[in-house]
Amino acid sequence: MSMRAGERFRLPAAILLTAALSLGLPDLVPDAPAASVSAASQASEEPQTSEASRKAVTLRIANWEEYIDEGDWDEEEAIDLEDENSTVIFGENSMIEDFEQWYEETYGVKVNVEYSTFGSNEDLYNQLTLGNDFDLVCPSEYMFMKLIAEDRLQPLSEEFFDEDTEENYYIRGVSDYIRNIFDTNTIEGEPWSRYAAGYMWGTTGIVYNPEEISREDASHWAILADPQYKGQVTIKDNVRDSYFAALGILHEEELMELKDLDSGERLERIAELMNRTDEGTVSAAEEILKLMKENAYSFESDSGKADMVTGKVLVNYQWSGDAVYTLDQAEIDDYILAYAVPEESTNIWFDGWVMLKDGIEGDAAKQHAAEAFINFMSRPDNVVRNMYYIGYTSVIAGGESDIIYAYADWCYGAEEDAEDTIEYPVGFFFSGDNSDPGYMITAEADQADRQLFAQYPPQDVLERAVVMQYFDQENNQRINQMWVNVRCFNIASLTPADWAKIICAAVVVLAGIVITSRLHSDRSAPCARRRSGHQGCIR
Amino acid sequence: MGIFRFSRKQLCIPYGLFLVCFVVLPLAVIVYYAFTDGSGRFTLANLLSFFSNGNTIGTLCYSIAVAAAVTAVCLLIAYPVAYVLARGGFKRGPVLLMLFIMPMWINFTLRLTALKEILTVLEGNLSLHPFLNTVIGMTYDFLPFMILPLYTTLLQLDESLLEAAQDLGAGPASVFFRVTLPLSMPGIISGITMTFLPAMTNYVILDMIYNSTYIMGSLIGSYFNIYDWNNGSMISLILFAGICIVSYVSGRTEHNEAENRGAVL
Repeated sequence: MSMRAGERFRLPAAILLTAALSLGLPDLVPDAPAASVSAASQASEEPQTSEASRKAVTLRIANWEEYIDEGDWDEEEAIDLEDENSTVIFGENSMIEDFEQWYEETYGVKVNVEYSTFGSNEDLYNQLTLGNDFDLVCPSEYMFMKLIAEDRLQPLSEEFFDEDTEENYYIRGVSDYIRNIFDTNTIEGEPWSRYAAGYMWGTTGIVYNPEEISREDASHWAILADPQYKGQVTIKDNVRDSYFAALGILHEEELMELKDLDSGERLERIAELMNRTDEGTVSAAEEILKLMKENAYSFESDSGKADMVTGKVLVNYQWSGDAVYTLDQAEIDDYILAYAVPEESTNIWFDGWVMLKDGIEGDAAKQHAAEAFINFMSRPDNVVRNMYYIGYTSVIAGGESDIIYAYADWCYGAEEDAEDTIEYPVGFFFSGDNSDPGYMITAEADQADRQLFAQYPPQDVLERAVVMQYFDQENNQRINQMWVNVRCFNIASLTPADWAKIICAAVVVLAGIVITSRLHSDRSAPCARRRSGHQGCIR
Repeated sequence: MGIFRFSRKQLCIPYGLFLVCFVVLPLAVIVYYAFTDGSGRFTLANLLSFFSNGNTIGTLCYSIAVAAAVTAVCLLIAYPVAYVLARGGFKRGPVLLMLFIMPMWINFTLRLTALKEILTVLEGNLSLHPFLNTVIGMTYDFLPFMILPLYTTLLQLDESLLEAAQDLGAGPASVFFRVTLPLSMPGIISGITMTFLPAMTNYVILDMIYNSTYIMGSLIGSYFNIYDWNNGSMISLILFAGICIVSYVSGRTEHNEAENRGAVL
């Protein structure tokens, strides 16, 4: 009996297993680090004592990979800001450990953070669809817009916005410029700020090699499809960023004509042009993207930075935060790169903290811990730690604290004996007034088109920086289909001439096979009986 | 002692559970998604769109072209290597074989990164020959999977059959084409299965080598990326069905080969 059961099992099981492995494995590999939202080691490890465990709150957080200070700095990494209070910033423990300790000290409640990471907004969304895994997550703006539209987010509490509470570092410190964007951008009639608190922000632009490419050329989207730089350009391998660039090329003339309008109206018009999703626009963009595909060195999601630093390409479509990283890396080898933002328009993007309804489930203690986490991450010294560690720009200006400005000055302020310097205003971000003499960084002249420019874009860039909206189901589908059309080899694109070639090739191959087998059977005359094949011969 | 005595049936339970949890259930989920639409209603639209969409068919053709080229190149390289290693009379045959297999023990991202640098030096710019680069990259990665089964089959080849053919007047070419080659068919078939199928779906290599045209794997990935699990599942399922058919047919062929051998002996 048991033997037969085993027999019955063997064949289908073996086939299934081999097939499943050969099908599944290659698909799993690329996303493996991203998809397997791995619980990091920062999770709590202390034994739970009866007193503490009764009150302990567990907070499940998901954030981008390498998007928070993990501590463990070398001693010489300590940042001495040399400000009035001679502040020194040093990341000894990870931000998570520090938060757990701070929360218990401040509120007398123990919190256990289960910290995980994700590799793309889509991975996070899929994870959220599969189960109730997180309480607090940090997706990009279009993804939290999607989550708001799907009514999956828990609104931030009123207390969170109370500027009189000492510990509300977020609302007391967030830059007015950013706060305004979060208040005025809406989805389904709800402002972002009701659900989302910003974390990092930036623009999209172009990293280029200034020795080979003029700043003028690099300051237009058209460079991404310019045949002059065939095989020298990398494009982002995601539909939103690539589509945005394609629209920039498509609407180049109209966008350039908007320059003379006053800033409010201009921004409105740019936003309208850069968020079009009607059929005509999408199919025109498809043609441009096909040109880009022909022309580009690669579509990349991560490798562009390395290819830029090693000089394999001259132009790299990049997010400002990664641009800073790329420029820094190249500088180590004395290779000087620069960053430009297209004259037509740029995409201003955000990553923001949002709480999930399913995760919080009306648990006030949990929501309190989640909001406290956002505030802790917005405390000026922690902002500096994170910015130093990951290289992106925080949405926090610091409020009454000048630490964050001092850090920008520490990063980019020129040495006193430097000869060629400029006064670079960052007041728009720190005080709302770009001519504020208190927020002028005396930087080396080349910083105006390098890291400082990428990290704190000047006012003229912000006057053409628009949010790329979340598109509804129908429009989204159209754009995604367009992207598949760009990336796939379409059988319909074969011309009759191509078909003729394919048929000729097939005929030649078939004829070759037939002729060789004929010749072969003639030569092996000793075995005359062809039907019985070699066995007849051997027998 | 008595506690530790299990019947064969009981010993099967953990394996059976494993198969149900990790093979049958996932497959059932794929089937469910393949035949439903976004709101969970039964539909054949996904199936129809696979065959009516120029992109999926085009991608299928492109994947087959890539996979066929990779498999052909692998076979052309691997057969002589396996033949020499197995029948060349080397004292250290297995050691040499290990040298060919060894790259497999190094992580493939590392190997491909190195290959990319080499190709950049040779070609100047990787983006000029995406198809060629893909074939080179995949061949480099899959070659051991072709060599191993061929080596094993050729090693087990019955010497007396070759001698008999020679005694009956067959020249070296004839011996090879009429005896060695047919007898090594099982190795060829399993080598082809092990390279052709992964070559159709392994888009990691494609991405790393900067070929921006999708193959089946990337197409499936792109559907899952835009939350269209239904179409993604249907494509996976169709590929899976294709693999089952191929496995079945090649299984039959091997079966026949075995019978033929039995007849010979």
